[in-house]
Amino acid sequence: MKKRLVLFFALVLALVTGFTTMTATTANAATDTSLSKVQKKGTLVMGTSPDYPPYEFQATVHGKTKIVGMDVAVGEKIAKDMGVKLVVKSMSFDSLLVALQTGKVDMVISGMNPTPARRKNVDFTHTYYQGGYSIVINKSDKGIYKNKDSFVNKTIGAQTGSTMYNESKKQTSGTTVKGMTSVSDLILALQSHKIQGVAMEKPSAQAYVANNKELAAIPSDFNLSASDTSASVAFKKGSTALVTAANKSVDQIKKQNLVNKTYLPAAGKYLKTNTVNTSMFHYWKAFLTGIEYTLIITVCSVFFGFIIGVILALARMGQGGAVKTGLRWLATAYVEFIRGTPMMVQVMFVYFGLGLIVNLPALTSGIIAISLNSGAYVAEYIRGGINSVDDGQTEAARSLGMSSGLSMRYVILPQALKNIWPSLGNEFITLIKDSSIVSIIGVSELIFQSNIVRSDTYRGVAPIAVIMVLYFILTFTASRILNYFERRMQHD
Amino acid sequence: MTKPIIEVKNLAKSFGKNEVLKDITEQVDSGQVIVVIGPSGGGKSTFLRCLNLLETPTSGEVDFDGENLTTLDTKRVNELREEMGMVFQGFNLFPNMTVLENIKLAPMKVKGINDAAATKRAHELLKQVNLDDHADAFPSSLSGGQAQRVAIARALAMDPKVMLFDEPTSALDPEMVGEVLNVMQELANQGMTMVVVTHEMGFAKSVADRVWFMADGYIQENNTPEAFFDNPQTERAQDFLSKILM
Ligand SMILES: Nc1ncnc2c1ncn2[C@@H]1O[C@H](COP(=O)(O)OP(=O)(O)O)[C@@H](O)[C@H]1O
Ligand SMILES: [Mg+2]
Repeated sequence: MKKRLVLFFALVLALVTGFTTMTATTANAATDTSLSKVQKKGTLVMGTSPDYPPYEFQATVHGKTKIVGMDVAVGEKIAKDMGVKLVVKSMSFDSLLVALQTGKVDMVISGMNPTPARRKNVDFTHTYYQGGYSIVINKSDKGIYKNKDSFVNKTIGAQTGSTMYNESKKQTSGTTVKGMTSVSDLILALQSHKIQGVAMEKPSAQAYVANNKELAAIPSDFNLSASDTSASVAFKKGSTALVTAANKSVDQIKKQNLVNKTYLPAAGKYLKTNTVNTSMFHYWKAFLTGIEYTLIITVCSVFFGFIIGVILALARMGQGGAVKTGLRWLATAYVEFIRGTPMMVQVMFVYFGLGLIVNLPALTSGIIAISLNSGAYVAEYIRGGINSVDDGQTEAARSLGMSSGLSMRYVILPQALKNIWPSLGNEFITLIKDSSIVSIIGVSELIFQSNIVRSDTYRGVAPIAVIMVLYFILTFTASRILNYFERRMQHD
Repeated sequence: MTKPIIEVKNLAKSFGKNEVLKDITEQVDSGQVIVVIGPSGGGKSTFLRCLNLLETPTSGEVDFDGENLTTLDTKRVNELREEMGMVFQGFNLFPNMTVLENIKLAPMKVKGINDAAATKRAHELLKQVNLDDHADAFPSSLSGGQAQRVAIARALAMDPKVMLFDEPTSALDPEMVGEVLNVMQELANQGMTMVVVTHEMGFAKSVADRVWFMADGYIQENNTPEAFFDNPQTERAQDFLSKILM
């Protein structure tokens, strides 16, 4: 099962758990209202990471992109049995459990295995699917490799941090294990003969083999405990009523063998229709959505970042008075702090951390985080710009009776802006590229969309090439437009 | 006798340990033209800037029209600054605005005068300084003499009671000094109260009502131009004049 947990995701999780347990234990102690709450709002929100066929992936159904797969079928059954509507929310796998704890989603179904470590933070249902592992190889090598032990002096690939990655390291000798973040990348490495095999889950392996004639699957023969190969539904810790209700559905699924008999074949059909046409042009809508969101995020963040930047710059330049000194100190601390922490962490903190207080959609969170981040940088540009304006300008304005505010607004800032316009332009272009960071909280910007196209089409390079060109078109156009305005501002 | 429009009482100003102005008590009557002369670094600019509180005095007071500036709040100081136009050695025009916009900005933003009225007044002032044909030019395209005349027009647009000039011709090429001094002379003829820091002795002689000789943080002499130039009282002034008039 997927078990990727980058270190700081774990940290965020721990942090959030700390918060929630502090605030939530008293509420849970009395009576568990989790089920009645869901029934009252009429929807059950399922979080999933749709880059893992046939568990969950995006498919184009009647021209619309939709998240499908056997996990979605499981989710639909659970929702139906509770008498509510299922809503599927996509985000990166690493963010799922945090989203669950912060109430962004009601449950997580994403091929997740109920490990003891996870059980500490969330409640799991019974297992709805018992999987296993295969190794995908190039069909041309079929005679050479039989199982995990055939790769002496060769390289096996696996998703970084996954069970497979760890077990491949432990249970082979003389074999190099290469970790990569996404399965599509691993397949690509396999086909370009950088690695000789990819360890992955059996259903996934079957999906890849079925969709790519160059590939074949062999058994892995790893020694594994049941909990490492089983999939369960996760709920927020303490929501016993929900777990009990979901378990009824899960037990039925098990008893009637619904996964193997109905869900997997149905998912396979989507996979087929999905991969009939893998030309990039077929996915133009997905890319267009990506461009749209990338631009929305960039433009909004530049706008708000600029306002924040001006305020911070003015606060940093304030002189005299206890209030002004305090503000200056605060603004300086803020700028230093923002510039000293990664934007990715800030994005996650806003989405998950702030999410504990107000439930913000991912897009809004992304815009807030990037604006806050950009503001700190813009503030420094503006401060430099203001300092670059001759003192005589302020004196002339003040001698005319203009207040310091009026002087700043009508005399100093316009000149400062002209001086720093190239830097601001660079910031805008940087943001077009850096906005990709919000893909981790599931905003459908270009990177996120390209990952979906990659897992949909089993093509590793083409979508990357497409977004590379798209990013370039965006940044190039932006820099042309900025140059035009720069030229128009040149009076002297 | 009419009440003086500016009264300076025991004014002192230090920058750190540097005592630039030590103890100055003088007054300017309405309609008077005062020329301040003295050696470079003697504190003339600092003195002028203390008059409209661009520089905060260390001690003493500056009364303008009966109000002690050093005790007023920022808002009132801003209001009184409207009544004291200032012209700088380096012009300090706003480079991002046309000549017309330079002149209109403060009347519109500070006094709330509407665009049409401000434009009309700006053109009048530009005619007064012989530059109406440059209304739409940007400062960078002007000569020094033209720029300084625009700066004068800009200061006049606030209808000040007093005009402060800090070496208005020192940054100019010699052939442009005349056009600026002419404008200033005309202004004096119209009865404007003026405090002018300058090294143009000819201007001092022909236009000034009083000459203040400033050196070492004091006004060393305060006299009529005739008396001052023909018969300076202090050794300091004699020394200064002998160097300048050589
Ligand atoms: N803002 C300031 N900070 C520190 N020292 C200053 C400042 N302005 C002027 N001074 C000092 O005050 C003295 C007088 O300067 P200034 O008034 O410009 O003289 P003047 O205009 O007569 O040449 C000089 O020694 C100068 O260095
Ligand atoms: Mg000076």
